[in-house]
Amino acid sequence: MLDKIIFGDNQFFGINHMSEEKSQALSERFRNLNAITDVIDMAYESGIKGFMINTHRRAKDICEYFRNNPSRFPELRLYPSMPYAHKYANAVAEKGLFGALNDMILKDSGVASLFGILSKGGSILFEKDMIKVMQLLIDMEMKIFKGLDVKVMFLQNIVTDLLLGFGVKTVFVEFASYIRKKYKVEPGFVTLNMPRLVNFLLDSGVENPIVCSAINKAGYFMNPDIETYERTLHQKQFRPMAMSILASGAVRPEDAVRYVVRQPGIQSIVFGASSQQHIRQTKGLIERYF
Amino acid sequence: MLRAGIIGFGRMGITHFSILNTHSSVRIVSVCEPSKTMQALLDKYLDVEIYSDYREMIDRCALDFIVISTPADSHADIIQYALQNNLHVFCEKPFALDMAEGNKILTAIQEKPIVNQVGYVNRFNKIFSEVKNLLESGLIGEIMQFSSEMHGSTVLKDSKSTWRGKRKTGGGCMNEFASHCIDLVTYLIGVPDSVAGSVMQPIYSSEVEDLVSATFLYNKGFSGRILVNWSDQSFRAPTNIVTIFGTRGKIIADRHAYKIYLKDDDHGNGFLKGWNTRYITDLSDNVRFYVRGNEFTHQLDYFVNCILQKSFDNLSSFEEAFKTDMIMNKIEVDAKAIVSQTSTMNLKTHKRSTPLWKFWQQESRQG
Repeated sequence: MLDKIIFGDNQFFGINHMSEEKSQALSERFRNLNAITDVIDMAYESGIKGFMINTHRRAKDICEYFRNNPSRFPELRLYPSMPYAHKYANAVAEKGLFGALNDMILKDSGVASLFGILSKGGSILFEKDMIKVMQLLIDMEMKIFKGLDVKVMFLQNIVTDLLLGFGVKTVFVEFASYIRKKYKVEPGFVTLNMPRLVNFLLDSGVENPIVCSAINKAGYFMNPDIETYERTLHQKQFRPMAMSILASGAVRPEDAVRYVVRQPGIQSIVFGASSQQHIRQTKGLIERYF
Repeated sequence: MLRAGIIGFGRMGITHFSILNTHSSVRIVSVCEPSKTMQALLDKYLDVEIYSDYREMIDRCALDFIVISTPADSHADIIQYALQNNLHVFCEKPFALDMAEGNKILTAIQEKPIVNQVGYVNRFNKIFSEVKNLLESGLIGEIMQFSSEMHGSTVLKDSKSTWRGKRKTGGGCMNEFASHCIDLVTYLIGVPDSVAGSVMQPIYSSEVEDLVSATFLYNKGFSGRILVNWSDQSFRAPTNIVTIFGTRGKIIADRHAYKIYLKDDDHGNGFLKGWNTRYITDLSDNVRFYVRGNEFTHQLDYFVNCILQKSFDNLSSFEEAFKTDMIMNKIEVDAKAIVSQTSTMNLKTHKRSTPLWKFWQQESRQG
């Protein structure tokens, strides 16, 4: 069972799709880790046990905080996503995609020797086995969450959607099976193209996949359109999780929750908030209708 | 089904591939990319032909169109070869590195039934295209003054080791970054009759400019300014902000929203006296497939549609892009002239960086 309510983390990273000003205000407010953990404490104390951890430089610090305070979070369940983009972004800009991956995997020599990956002239033979490279990356990513209860590991949306466009089934299948087998964690996918992704995953043989996407009354971030989303929710066998339910503020909280719970099969609602009042209000609404 | 070839499989090439690969009227037949590692990956996972030489690819693949996403100094040659073979061309900006090259291509393309488009992606952002419509409807009256700004944190240290840090390979803030900001002016307001007070200034780079600013003058009796800085860490992602002041009101727009101030109600357009804000969420703006931003899908779908409809009047054609190239050229000429007149002016802002005019002096000595 997935948590019905999952606390999102975009607000901590100054992500606001509507306005630069709000974005700046958020990043100023959450400059210090304490400001973030205060809100996390509030959310947990209000009864939310599921937390999304997106790929951001702060992810590591937040996990460290959870590990250092086990008594405060006895029932904590995490829903992180990978790859941990921040770590790669600069390296990729400087050394190119392959150079950056090479460096990172080689640096992690324990992992490299574990798999006996061939290294020739300092360059790992990607062409030989891209899937193995992906597995090494997953191992590196999972280290951040060591000792914590990870319920679902998501592939973040930029990577999911790019690969979806490429249409390479193996990558999705291997990601799912590796996460499940090696870590006993459920694989999940974040996307801005939910209907296409669901069809693709089902075609690829990934059964009953967990798919997290925007689901809101405004149709915001729902591609190709809200009708196709609703049809997919009605017709396909998968485990949908709803995010961006407020459509960055375009929908009133009560309308937002009522719309989402009318859709069939919704497993979880992800929402982010920065104040006790907003946390309580949204959580209350979800509990009333969901 | 249109047969497509993609040349250059870096960040943009990968994005274009993903978007086009999901288009129901397109089949990507081949990819041209020199990296052996990338070739091996493509070969293993995708059903495409792989080439190292674009000429060979064009000769062999019976393509309908190509997408060019290679470093800028290779664009002109590839375009010329594609034109000889009557292929439709989508090219990342800039499509040519100098005026002569650009002119040659425009001459070659004249009268040819070839769809040509440059990747000025802001033209396909819903907010900016709505602003364009509102300006044309006369919402804010006659344009009197504007500013077009672009900020980002692309270059935070000297990157002379890559093509980005060298002028000859199309690097520098002007070509790579300011071009988007200037093109937005070309698109929304039009080409200035003259350019004054131009500055091209290094911040961290040693061989290229990191900041571009200039005043645009229009014979109709109005003016505007551009300010572009790609070394500003306070901006997470490249950000365009356009402010346009007219006789009846004002528009402030970025990729996510626009604000309009009006002196009087405008019921036709649905705006009231005073401030009016519209967010991207208010405009229904979905795409058939999303990667990295709606505008990236909009621009390629538009390009493919132009080919299918045989429409050669393209919103972001080479001819349109050439207008932007001409403005950039004027700014460069103006900046050089100002620097040579004011030798006492010290544009040096960082002890490791050399003022740009020193490079111009070196260039002209060598040349």
